[in-house]
Amino acid sequence: MRYLARRLVHSALLLFGVSIFSFAILQLAPGDFFTPISLNPQISAHTVAALRSQYGLDRPLPIRYEHWLHSVLRGDFGISFAYGTPVAPLLAVRARNTLLLTGTSLLLAWLLAIPFGIWSAARRRKWSDRAGGILTSSLLTVPDLVLFLALLLVAVRTGWFPTGGMTSAGSEDLGFGGKVKDLAIHLFLPALGLVLATLPPLVRHVRSAMIEVLEAPFVRAARAHGISERRVLLRYALPVAANPLITLFGYSVAAMLSASLLVEMVLSWPGVGPLLVDAILAKDVYVVVGAVLLSSVFLVAGSLIADASLFAADPRIRMD
Amino acid sequence: MLTQRQKLAWAVVALAAFSGVVLFAGFFAPYDFAAQDRNAPFAAPTGIHFVDARGSFHIRPFVYSSRDSDTGPVGAAADLDQTFTIRWCVRGALYKIAGVFTSRVHLFGVEQPARIFLMGSDGYGRDQFSRFLYGGQISLLAGLIAAVLSVSMGIVAGGIAGYYGGWIDEILMRGGELFLALPWLYLLFAVRAALPLHISQWQVFLLLISVMGLIGWARPARLIRGVVLSAKERNFVLAARGFGASDTYLLRRHVLPQTNAVLLTQVTLLVPEYVLAEVTLTFLGLGVGEPMPSWGALLTSLQQYSVLSSYWWMFLPALLLIPLFVAFYAAADALQELHKSVPL
Amino acid sequence: MNLGSQPSVSEFQPLLRVSGLRKEYVQRSPFSRKKIAVNAFHDVSLTIFPGKTLAVVGESGAGKSSLARCIALLERPNSGTIELAGNNLLALSGQELFAMRREVQLIFQDPTSALNPRLTAGEIIAEPLLIQRKGTKSQRRARALQLMEQVGLDSAWERKRPLEFSGGQRQRLAIARALALGPQLLILDEALSNLDTANQTLILKLLAELQTAHALSFLHISHDLRLVSEFADEVAVMYEGTIVEWKSTRNLFASPEHSYTKELLASVRSVESILLERSA
Repeated sequence: MRYLARRLVHSALLLFGVSIFSFAILQLAPGDFFTPISLNPQISAHTVAALRSQYGLDRPLPIRYEHWLHSVLRGDFGISFAYGTPVAPLLAVRARNTLLLTGTSLLLAWLLAIPFGIWSAARRRKWSDRAGGILTSSLLTVPDLVLFLALLLVAVRTGWFPTGGMTSAGSEDLGFGGKVKDLAIHLFLPALGLVLATLPPLVRHVRSAMIEVLEAPFVRAARAHGISERRVLLRYALPVAANPLITLFGYSVAAMLSASLLVEMVLSWPGVGPLLVDAILAKDVYVVVGAVLLSSVFLVAGSLIADASLFAADPRIRMD
Repeated sequence: MLTQRQKLAWAVVALAAFSGVVLFAGFFAPYDFAAQDRNAPFAAPTGIHFVDARGSFHIRPFVYSSRDSDTGPVGAAADLDQTFTIRWCVRGALYKIAGVFTSRVHLFGVEQPARIFLMGSDGYGRDQFSRFLYGGQISLLAGLIAAVLSVSMGIVAGGIAGYYGGWIDEILMRGGELFLALPWLYLLFAVRAALPLHISQWQVFLLLISVMGLIGWARPARLIRGVVLSAKERNFVLAARGFGASDTYLLRRHVLPQTNAVLLTQVTLLVPEYVLAEVTLTFLGLGVGEPMPSWGALLTSLQQYSVLSSYWWMFLPALLLIPLFVAFYAAADALQELHKSVPL
Repeated sequence: MNLGSQPSVSEFQPLLRVSGLRKEYVQRSPFSRKKIAVNAFHDVSLTIFPGKTLAVVGESGAGKSSLARCIALLERPNSGTIELAGNNLLALSGQELFAMRREVQLIFQDPTSALNPRLTAGEIIAEPLLIQRKGTKSQRRARALQLMEQVGLDSAWERKRPLEFSGGQRQRLAIARALALGPQLLILDEALSNLDTANQTLILKLLAELQTAHALSFLHISHDLRLVSEFADEVAVMYEGTIVEWKSTRNLFASPEHSYTKELLASVRSVESILLERSA
């Protein structure tokens, strides 16, 4: 139990650190919430100053941080200069889309990585493992950007897939099944891109984790007892290999989030990525900070899930 | 199969050759990176021929100049009447080598009004091949400097944390975890957002590099810390202490040299990562801006539907990145394998 | 090369006097927050006279090695005193401590780990002189070559790296390095245990020669009673972290008192008798 408590405290500290970092960004950006209003010649500087004072923007830094933290925790992320609307609902929609994309891709990537990894670990030194290794390495060396652009090229040249967006025009009129199909076909390319981008290192790690376990004495003993290879792989080796793999899961969430930003830009998926980029170009700081905070929360949540799974799966951790 | 040493040698040679070409981009590129030709927007790669329209064979390759065709885009057809031989070591636009020396000699070129676009031209009629070479200067340099920055900070942080341990180790490693846990692209964006948008090109460049380098100190630091932790317990360090050696001497002479292997591998891995970061940032419009031909800028136009569907050569810079990365990863792989077998 | 003044003792005063030395390690148990004190050694008192060899024998364990390190000033004991030529070593600091380090040196059990694989033999041997800032570069090099010859290594191997030497030769390298500053006391921390028997005999011979030539004192720590008894003047038996018996070698073999000492002697004797029986 102490392990979980430690991890929770750790995550809280991490989020705290991120909040300070984000707040610093807010302070460093020239101008503040009232800058756009102050540019309006019809509003006197006196009024702006009064507004600033009313909202506590002239108070010392720690108090401003406290205010800001409070509002963030209440769900108020400020107001977007560009859209003129509160940031939170804006982020919420985009976040849902990003979660859909990254969630699907994460699931798919792991569902592919584990069997591939186990399979190539079991066939180590045979030519099929070598071939798989070469394939993985080749995929690894293609930069993400190039990969995504290639997918976009495929979409444009073949016309089989839409080149952007989440839904087609007029999709609201479709029935449920139609909507799902429409979504799936829009989701296909971005998800494929993300999976291809993150799969190679996952497969490699699964493979090496399995290989390490397969060389352990207890596995040899199991084989000597005549237990079938398949049972050895799945019931003996895999549970032990689960520990490093679950830790890897936490890191894969971070990698996936980074890559998702790019794929959303290239393939025009309406997630947090394009919102963030536009916000930066428009100097819409509250949106930027909101997006960064949100992604950190996703990350921390991801690794907490990993930690909890580790706790459940590995008895050595529970011995604490 | 090649041995690790051979693999490393090939990779280094490839990288060195590429860097050499990029360094002397002015010489290898027929045109300046900003030279526009409004008469030849989105021109396809110039065909190089040995046999002309009349069927006679030329020993020296030549190109045709373009003229307007009745159908199709401007300047799409070739004017078959006149052949323009490719000349070597021609005099062309002025350029600088490493910002110091100037020269007018280019490796190859053709006489006006013909153009030699090895990789086609973009919407402004700028030679993509020349821009690719010049772009290498920006993107590769950014990657290299950022990698060196990261690793240098990594040495300091990892060295101190590993050697002195205790609370300073705790603080540094926890801080590092913070940096590692967050997606680097988001971090980079957030910092970029805090900076004013319209500052000079060089300032953007330097700021970008510094930020990239500073964000990425955590992973090298952790690896170096590991090496330092085990190195400082080695008996030869203890023996030197027995002669009265100071901490600085021990670090300098015995402990930090043990990190050389890790450092080299890290730099080899980080450079392509940072090159890609710079390319991605510029691609999204947040990095070095026009007319600087960072590779990211070369790829920006690919976001337009028209470009993707009609002008396939604009994709070439992306493809050319792949062998570069292969060389880097091959070198890093070979280095890792080699250092595994060398006893520390 | 002038190594600076050395504190001297007459033949009748002890070179090294250790009294009431105690060392314990504090470990935080990985599972609870409690701190556990592990006792390495306690109530250790020893005396070594100039030019003599004292052997400390006992089971393989951290006690003997940490005793060696404490006396070599590589670790600090929790209580007790260490006097070298009348100087209280534990009270020294700064410049005085720096200077005193010349007098006592440690030879490690594993020569390979004690030598930096990246340095050449010449650099390794000259390093103490470099650290203590003695002599110019060429003087240091000359002394290093001289030391190499003294320990039986060909000085032409000056530029070779440790890994190019055999195990026995590496230990000679370590000895040469230890001699560089002209110490009065050499501590051998199981220095022969990793060598094969032939090398053990050779190194012992070398050490005996060096002892006569330089009036060195040795503190020889080992688990092998038979080995050390050939050259030790006195033997101290360590059991469960403290000295249980301390006699001259001859007296120890003739009339052992403690039960552990008797056990040790019994195993030595049994090996000898087996060998005798076989050869007969």
